[in-house]
Amino acid sequence: MKVSLKWLNDLVDLADLSTREIDDLLTFAGIEVEGIQSVPQGVVAAIITSSEKHSNADKLSVCQVDDGSGTPKQIVCGAKNYAVNDVVPLAAPGTAFPSGFEIVERKMRGQISQGMLCSAAELGLAEESDGLLILPDTTVPGTPLSQIYPPIFDLEITPNRPDLLSHRGIARELATLTDRPLLIPKTPEIITQIATNAEITVSAPHHAPFYSARHINHVKVGPSPEWLQEKLQAVGLRPINNIVDITNYVLMETGQPLHAFDASKLNGGFMVRIATAHEKFLALDGEEYSLRPEDVVVADANGAIALGGIMGGEISGVTENTTSVILESAYFAPPVIRRTSRDLNLSSDSSYRFERGVDPQGVLPASALATQLIVDLAAGKPADAILTAGTLPILTGSVQLDEDRARSLLGIDIPAAEMHRILAGLGLTLENKSKTKSSWRIPSYRIDLQRHIDLVEEIARVHGLDKIPATTAAAFAPASPDDIAFDRLNQLRSRLSGLGFLETKTIKLLSSEEAVTTCPHTSTDDLVTVKNPLSEDHTTLRPSLIPGLLSAAERNSHQGATTLRFYETGTVFRTPESEKQLITLLAGGDSQPSTWHEARPRQLDISDLRGFLETILPVSSLTLIPSHSPSSPFVLEADITIDKKSLGLIGQIQPAFTRKIDFQAPILIAELNAESLWQLMNRADTFEELDRFPAVSRDVAMELPAVIPNGDIQDFFDTQKESLLVSARLFDVFTDPAGEKLPAHKKSLAYSLTYRDKTKTLTTSEVDDAHGRILAALKQELPVQIR
Amino acid sequence: MLDELAQIQSDALADIEAAPDNAALEQCRTSLLGKKAPLTAAGAGMKSVPKDQKAAVGQKLNQVRRSITTALEEKLATLRADADARAVEGIDLTLPGRTAFRGNTHPLTQITDLLVHTLRRMGFSLASGPEIETEFHCFDALNTPADHPARNEKDTFFFNSGHLLRTHTSTVQIRAMESVKTLPLRVIAPGSAFRRDEIDATHLNQFTQIEGLYVDETVTLGDLKGTLEFLLQSIFGHDTPVRFRPHFFPFTEPSFEVDVQLRIKGKQPKWIEIAGCGMVDPNVFASICEQRSDDLFHPDKVTGYAFGMGVERLAMILWSIPDIRLLIENDARFLTQFG
Repeated sequence: MKVSLKWLNDLVDLADLSTREIDDLLTFAGIEVEGIQSVPQGVVAAIITSSEKHSNADKLSVCQVDDGSGTPKQIVCGAKNYAVNDVVPLAAPGTAFPSGFEIVERKMRGQISQGMLCSAAELGLAEESDGLLILPDTTVPGTPLSQIYPPIFDLEITPNRPDLLSHRGIARELATLTDRPLLIPKTPEIITQIATNAEITVSAPHHAPFYSARHINHVKVGPSPEWLQEKLQAVGLRPINNIVDITNYVLMETGQPLHAFDASKLNGGFMVRIATAHEKFLALDGEEYSLRPEDVVVADANGAIALGGIMGGEISGVTENTTSVILESAYFAPPVIRRTSRDLNLSSDSSYRFERGVDPQGVLPASALATQLIVDLAAGKPADAILTAGTLPILTGSVQLDEDRARSLLGIDIPAAEMHRILAGLGLTLENKSKTKSSWRIPSYRIDLQRHIDLVEEIARVHGLDKIPATTAAAFAPASPDDIAFDRLNQLRSRLSGLGFLETKTIKLLSSEEAVTTCPHTSTDDLVTVKNPLSEDHTTLRPSLIPGLLSAAERNSHQGATTLRFYETGTVFRTPESEKQLITLLAGGDSQPSTWHEARPRQLDISDLRGFLETILPVSSLTLIPSHSPSSPFVLEADITIDKKSLGLIGQIQPAFTRKIDFQAPILIAELNAESLWQLMNRADTFEELDRFPAVSRDVAMELPAVIPNGDIQDFFDTQKESLLVSARLFDVFTDPAGEKLPAHKKSLAYSLTYRDKTKTLTTSEVDDAHGRILAALKQELPVQIR
Repeated sequence: MLDELAQIQSDALADIEAAPDNAALEQCRTSLLGKKAPLTAAGAGMKSVPKDQKAAVGQKLNQVRRSITTALEEKLATLRADADARAVEGIDLTLPGRTAFRGNTHPLTQITDLLVHTLRRMGFSLASGPEIETEFHCFDALNTPADHPARNEKDTFFFNSGHLLRTHTSTVQIRAMESVKTLPLRVIAPGSAFRRDEIDATHLNQFTQIEGLYVDETVTLGDLKGTLEFLLQSIFGHDTPVRFRPHFFPFTEPSFEVDVQLRIKGKQPKWIEIAGCGMVDPNVFASICEQRSDDLFHPDKVTGYAFGMGVERLAMILWSIPDIRLLIENDARFLTQFG
């Protein structure tokens, strides 16, 4: 909301306060100052008396100006858009601009310049401008520009304070905060008679609890006087004609929206009723709206003439030819106006105030004020009676203040007298008090003050938080399951950092097509989709972290990256709205940075990713169960298990995708379930006795059909009950596709088996016996030939 | 005999000196001290040395043996030293090193960690809640009535089930109060929240917040002020001015927005909004009591404060990041700047 300081000054004398001081007052009252449009002090109007080209600079002129001081000033100027006798803004030496730039008298190419002639943009009056700001030629030289362009505050009013949505409201607040008298003139004594008349019927009392209308005849529609136009323009409103301007002025002055109808355009009496389904309404903005039975309209016999509380109709609007008006001032129910405004996507200064709640006791005074102005400025003759229907709601009552409770919540020992002073200053009336409690009547405009805590808030707000001492209240904090998970995740993160992985963060919403094509084991039925997406690209919650990582891979590949090492941790979603935490790694490309030692490093393959997992996870070896039909993004895929429990999956991305993103090496992915991981990390690790007796190794090389996975051999060794065998490690794989050294359908594996006895040094024959038993069993169980 | 020994010595020392490498030196050792060595033969000849000369010859014999042994050791040391020097000869210490890839966490993780670590020092535990939430946890329980402007399909993502994507992490306040057994309750919850916004330089449809809640019998506004001042000064510097501006949130009363003053060299100091906070509204406690069917959170018996702040915003301020999208694009050239 735009508020003019000049306008405020008419309502409370703030002349001794600087713009900055008023900014602070508003800010600490809880009124956010989003911007201040103000001309710096020291800028005055000046008339250009002569202008000559600078003898020593092509683009500069030397001007003589009269700034009303009696002493002509010489200014060097670069603008071209002026003529001699133009009145322009002059920033005198000493003028400080908000940017920190300060005007000083100085020589420019040999010519003295005693200030700067300014453009609208330089004065903060426009976003951009071309050349000097030319002022009306009636402007008296020496007039401070801040008088012509008084400061305008752009304020953000929180939804709980509709009473601040007017100049009077802001003035009332500033008067309270600075302990000054409020200069609001008395309501004109226009209301001679209130008549409830059959001319108005309200059939929707829940939508429009109160409605008033006053006939004003013989109006002369024409332009508003200058003072009125100026006030409206200052707050960003375009003057239209005196009647419309008056209603807008009263709105900005008091916060009560009004509407004036052209009486001659109406057919019969007023009805305030609920709209019929699909009722058409042509609004002042020229748009036709289709209404619903939850909207409230003001109608005559022909149909809707206004969308209640939001906008008047095109047909019944006041024009130059209007001679008789009906002035509406009403109280519309906030939820109704809010819903209609939102659903029709139509808001106005009027709806903004009604949907937050206007002062019920301000409805009739605003009508009176506008009527008086129409009498004064448009020669109107008001009817004796104001027609009303319904009753004004009573929204405020009495609220108790418990002073001890207030003190204990605030954490300060603020005297009761000070609390009372603050509340009284805000317009609350003390009804009665006891030792530690007092009862307060709330003014009708403060509809936000309903409960004890609301009074405490007012005390805190006005007293100021800077006066409340900062205290500490620490406590011992036990580690929650979330704490434990957080620490484990960070442990994993630091291991991944050590392996060169960068953590990514991606958007959790994606398109359903992307979800189905890039997330393994995902069909449309698994997707959790939002009902009201903003775009097709963000309809579905990710069922996996893979799509985000693939888009990171794509972006970096297109940037020319030859290595990809990324991971992400976070929530994934599947039907029925279930959430799970995953940790997903993506790797591919160079195994190490390219250096002079090795300009073309080896490219990562799936063994590398498996190795990375075995490095970061609390177990040294994983079991991979290859999948025979890899799911959508993979060309290779395996389940990762530990102790027969599933931990996640690992795979290699389809080469088609790798080609699509122009990446020259395999892209590998592993996705792990965080919950399963934390369970692994839960296992108590007990100390294991160090080996005191030497181990003995025996190597075995075997030939077997190429189709048998190594996992079968490893499983065989791992499950042997031979107590002396401590480990079996693969150290060579040999195949020969040419079939020369080994038939092409065969492969050769070489294992190193380690034997040890915890209690003594093994003899050669003991090892030989154990090794013999193992090899015999191997030959029996698997189609291998020992070499 | 003595002359003979002197000759053996001088020949031997010359041989040793001339040995070009380890192998030659080992050969010298055998030929000079081995069974067939002249010195060994001379030793054997001691029997025939006249008695009166035995002492002198014996002494000489030992002296020659020592000098040969010493010369061999010294020559060996010299040869090794030469070899060691040759082994590193010509290594260019100015060549670039063999490097490995270095990774790091995401800047948003780094900010979250900083906040969590600081708040843990102040005695907060972590809490969490689902991202798909009920209207009750996101709005009703937080004193945000059905007709509240923030509560609509224009700003909030809904599901056909009637559930929604939480619009703030304040839902975790409710989850924590519903489940806790005893007071005090001191929790923080970092997590995602969602708003139905088009993505541009200053908006994402998803962002990270950290939420804090402290409820006990005598929590004061002063405690809230002390907590946030310490937290923000831990992040922005211990002498950073912090101010509290009255504001409005449905679920706290009184409510404040918190600003810190940024002081950048050569620029006017600037107040930047960082957090929202306030004392938990009694209506929130009343709703929790109804939910729990007990009076652990009776509005007349407990007070509490809550606060929340945006992690993206903090990151953008701390690192002067001009476009929020940089935080989700995952360009390695961006991410590695935070290593």
